[in-house]
Amino acid sequence: MNQRYLISILLLLACNKPAIELKPYGDSIKVSELKKIQRDYWPTQAWKSASPESLGMNTDKLQEMEKYSFTLTGNDEDRLGIRTDSVVIIYKGKLVYEKYAREYKKDQKHLLWSVAKSYINTLVGIAVRDGLMKLDDFAYEYVPELSVTEEHKKITINHLLTMTSGLDGREGYESNPMNSTVIAMLYTKGRSNMGAYCSSLPIIAEPGKRVYYSSCDTNILSLALQNVYGKEKYLELPNKELFNILGIRDLTWEKDGSDVYVGSSYIYSKPTDVAKFAFLYLNNGYWNGKKILPDGWVTQARTPSEGYKTTKYYPGLEKNNYTAQWYANTGVPDAGIPKPMPDIPSDTFFGSGHWGQRVFIIPSLDLIVVRFADDRKKEDFSDNDFLKPIVESVQ
Amino acid sequence: MKPKKLIITIILFIVFDLMLFWVISNWSNLKVFPSIISSFYSKEYCSCYFVVGQDEDYCHNFARQWIPISDFKLDLENKKVSVSGLGRTNSAIFLDEKNGCVLQELN
Repeated sequence: MNQRYLISILLLLACNKPAIELKPYGDSIKVSELKKIQRDYWPTQAWKSASPESLGMNTDKLQEMEKYSFTLTGNDEDRLGIRTDSVVIIYKGKLVYEKYAREYKKDQKHLLWSVAKSYINTLVGIAVRDGLMKLDDFAYEYVPELSVTEEHKKITINHLLTMTSGLDGREGYESNPMNSTVIAMLYTKGRSNMGAYCSSLPIIAEPGKRVYYSSCDTNILSLALQNVYGKEKYLELPNKELFNILGIRDLTWEKDGSDVYVGSSYIYSKPTDVAKFAFLYLNNGYWNGKKILPDGWVTQARTPSEGYKTTKYYPGLEKNNYTAQWYANTGVPDAGIPKPMPDIPSDTFFGSGHWGQRVFIIPSLDLIVVRFADDRKKEDFSDNDFLKPIVESVQ
Repeated sequence: MKPKKLIITIILFIVFDLMLFWVISNWSNLKVFPSIISSFYSKEYCSCYFVVGQDEDYCHNFARQWIPISDFKLDLENKKVSVSGLGRTNSAIFLDEKNGCVLQELN
């Protein structure tokens, strides 16, 4: 009996052992500023097309990607396997590949899910550029609902951007709907005012010290922007300051019950328009000579969150290199966190959404890849296996 | 009371207490849990149909979850989707192309 008891305890301890050993590290990862690329046109009106061959791409490799992405590997009615809806590739500023599948057609909008978070990064950047908020400002100054405790008041705009608010967000979707704060936020008790609901969550870590991906952090930022600009100006903000400039004319951004953009999840956009958004970041926040984002903003979007220094291991931590509403492929080597995509250049940064939505930016290759899908099991699709032949096609 | 019966009674009492504690500590989540099915279905169907422009079959397959719904109503005139499940009914309404769909007051 005692022996069985001991074995059970040992098994329990073994299960709790981290998959990786995190090590303390000193300096932050240094990401160099993107170099300016001279463009012969800007895709404000439309993308110019070019054949892959004319730009020296290996079309066999593109076919390899196409076979991997567009071959249904499971029963579609059961929503199993890889279920790609569209892939768009922009190389050297030209549209070199686009394919649409299942029920999706060119010029049809698609739900971005969490890729939307990267758009909130842009809107916060615009507010910072215009001197309306600073990264080190306390968020409760813009979101009074965040004045719950003295600990809540320590949360800054930067903490929310880098997913280190310390709020007790629980990001499970289908796995544990009852305890999921993102489900409660989107569909039940949070839906009338998502930012306010999220602000009411208890603090479980010192702000700035623990990276935990939470849709709540993004929606508090969206609420902060509404209070910074005022309701009317805030509603005009995305079109006036971003989409009109980029030539994105047909986009839906849904709001919660308090007219706050659901920054965490609910943008519907065409793949070629998402590629335009990515092109802004590939060009270091400039669009046709106009500075959209402040100096250093894109660099921060490519740099893993400072909070990794002090984040204790929890299952799944090593899968993300979260930055500031984007992901990086740098890894966090000193902390023992590997590159999420080992065969893909380290300077890749990307937006990532539920059920397989992705926008990848690879500055060293002047490459953008957008992929939309309806993959219900994330383990069915590998970002690395998808991107590898595309990267090889330009090398 | 025989010792065996006493042990079983104590165990049942402890289990009951633990369950009661769990229900009390999770009450705010438990209370809204039945609404998840109908809210999710109505919101995601509404956006799939009116924003993305997919057909009814596609949107049903997109929005369904492992717990089946008991009633579904697509009101084309008012651009409203109402769904019932687990004893709750929730609705989402399509505003326009720019603003998409929004859930109505929580049931």
